[in-house]
Amino acid sequence: MLNNITLGQYFPGDSFIHKLDPRTKLLCTLLFIVAIFFANSPISYGILCGFTLLVILVSRLPFVMVLKSVKPIWIILLLTLCIHIFTTPGETILYQYSFLTVTKEGLELGVKMCLRLILLLLFSSILTFTTSPIVLTDGIESLLRPFKCIGVPAHELAMMMTIALRFIPTLLEETDRIMKAQTARGADFESGNIIQRVKNMLPLLIPLFIGAFRRADDLAIAMEARCYRGGEGRTRMHQLSYGSNDYVAFVVIFVLIFGLAFLRWGTKLI
Amino acid sequence: MIKIENLKHYYKDIDGNEVKALDGVSLSIAEGEFVAVIGANGSGKSTLARHLNGLLVPTEGKVTVNDMDTMDEDRTWDIRQSVGMVFQNPDNQIVAAIVEEDVAFGMENIGVPSAEIRPRVDKALAAVGMSDYAKHAPHLLSGGQKQRVAIAGILGLEPKCIVLDEPTAMLDPQGRQEIVATVKSLNKEKNITIVYITHYMEEALQADRVVVMGAGKIQFMGTPKEVFCRVEELEKLGLEAPIAAKVASELRKCGAKLPKDIITEEELAKALCQ
Repeated sequence: MLNNITLGQYFPGDSFIHKLDPRTKLLCTLLFIVAIFFANSPISYGILCGFTLLVILVSRLPFVMVLKSVKPIWIILLLTLCIHIFTTPGETILYQYSFLTVTKEGLELGVKMCLRLILLLLFSSILTFTTSPIVLTDGIESLLRPFKCIGVPAHELAMMMTIALRFIPTLLEETDRIMKAQTARGADFESGNIIQRVKNMLPLLIPLFIGAFRRADDLAIAMEARCYRGGEGRTRMHQLSYGSNDYVAFVVIFVLIFGLAFLRWGTKLI
Repeated sequence: MIKIENLKHYYKDIDGNEVKALDGVSLSIAEGEFVAVIGANGSGKSTLARHLNGLLVPTEGKVTVNDMDTMDEDRTWDIRQSVGMVFQNPDNQIVAAIVEEDVAFGMENIGVPSAEIRPRVDKALAAVGMSDYAKHAPHLLSGGQKQRVAIAGILGLEPKCIVLDEPTAMLDPQGRQEIVATVKSLNKEKNITIVYITHYMEEALQADRVVVMGAGKIQFMGTPKEVFCRVEELEKLGLEAPIAAKVASELRKCGAKLPKDIITEEELAKALCQ
């Protein structure tokens, strides 16, 4: 389904993970993040890494592609590592140069923190790789619905996301068209320093915004003409439903959480 | 099924001047009829269209749809369900990122049970010949296909009447043909009342009745034959009669004995060969 939508980073497939209900995937990702913060020993980190690898294998995503999703945050990783290495006080000093001291504790902590960040990112990438943005929107709406009574506009948020998904390609096309039209009139989008370039963007942005507002107006009228009046009393064509796969996923993730909690606190109790 | 009585619609433009977009229009449209509305830019034809399902309400006068007054706010949604509307810009009326989701949108709004939506979506897409594109993203379709999706979205609501407000103005010739053919088949096969606003005379030829608008008023109306043989009057309103009617009229002026009701090329050819 939808192999012609390139938005986001959805990677179509029909693995166990792909077929899970979006709500299951969202909740399991949240639970996994909790599990990450339970880990404190090398064994528990090993388990987490092993589990992530297993999920990637089951989802049949290209391994390198998933790993690449860590790339955008390498600076944050490096900073985290450095700050922990150089600022953690400790007893075992590994290396010292003027005011910089590297301790064993600092090194351990730094590696742990980076590992946590990497795992967190990998797991949420698996979510977006295996769920199309449209299905994800449905999932978010359905998960947020119970919070409506405390003022979370679940339906409105989902509607906004749907419309954004619908119009991003259209607006990209329009940007391209305006850019060509302005280039034909002598506009220059490529040379000059940063300030110059930002200034040169104005003839692109203004028509784009005006066009977007006009579209929004048209769309609002069209939606009204098709009886749209907010989320009240609306039904859905696709109703989400949990299947046996989803229960399996929940059991697995809870076993993981309890396992890690036991490794952290349980051993002391015995 | 639609009755318009002495409809007036005034609004203020940016400079504060009162504009009489509609200035006393009376028209009644019967069930199953195919009515084309033609007129130059600013003649009030789009404003008229928006009164038919309560998107605009009259300043004066009255519009009723199946005896429901468009001024009655309690009936607004019933009216919009029975009078669907297709707009000019094919891009700006598709809401969802997948064709079938968009067709379902209207039905979801009026609260059709989930199990019933699926078959109705399939039926609506089949009626406009877009079944093969159910899972496509709308932005990858041609203009004509997008307009057909928009029509399908309205068919899902099972309307009695569809108002099309210049649906072909932004389409290429092929897209225009697709839309005219689709609309005609809906009118003939499903007996859906059609109000078709256009400035292409060739499209208006397909209608049962043509209404000519000018300066916020109905100038004249009748069957396509009655309307399009009045070549000079049409020209005064800034409209161009179909080419065959114009040629016939010029030939008559030069003394050729041609019947008065020639509006299509075939009729002209036949008359000339006699």
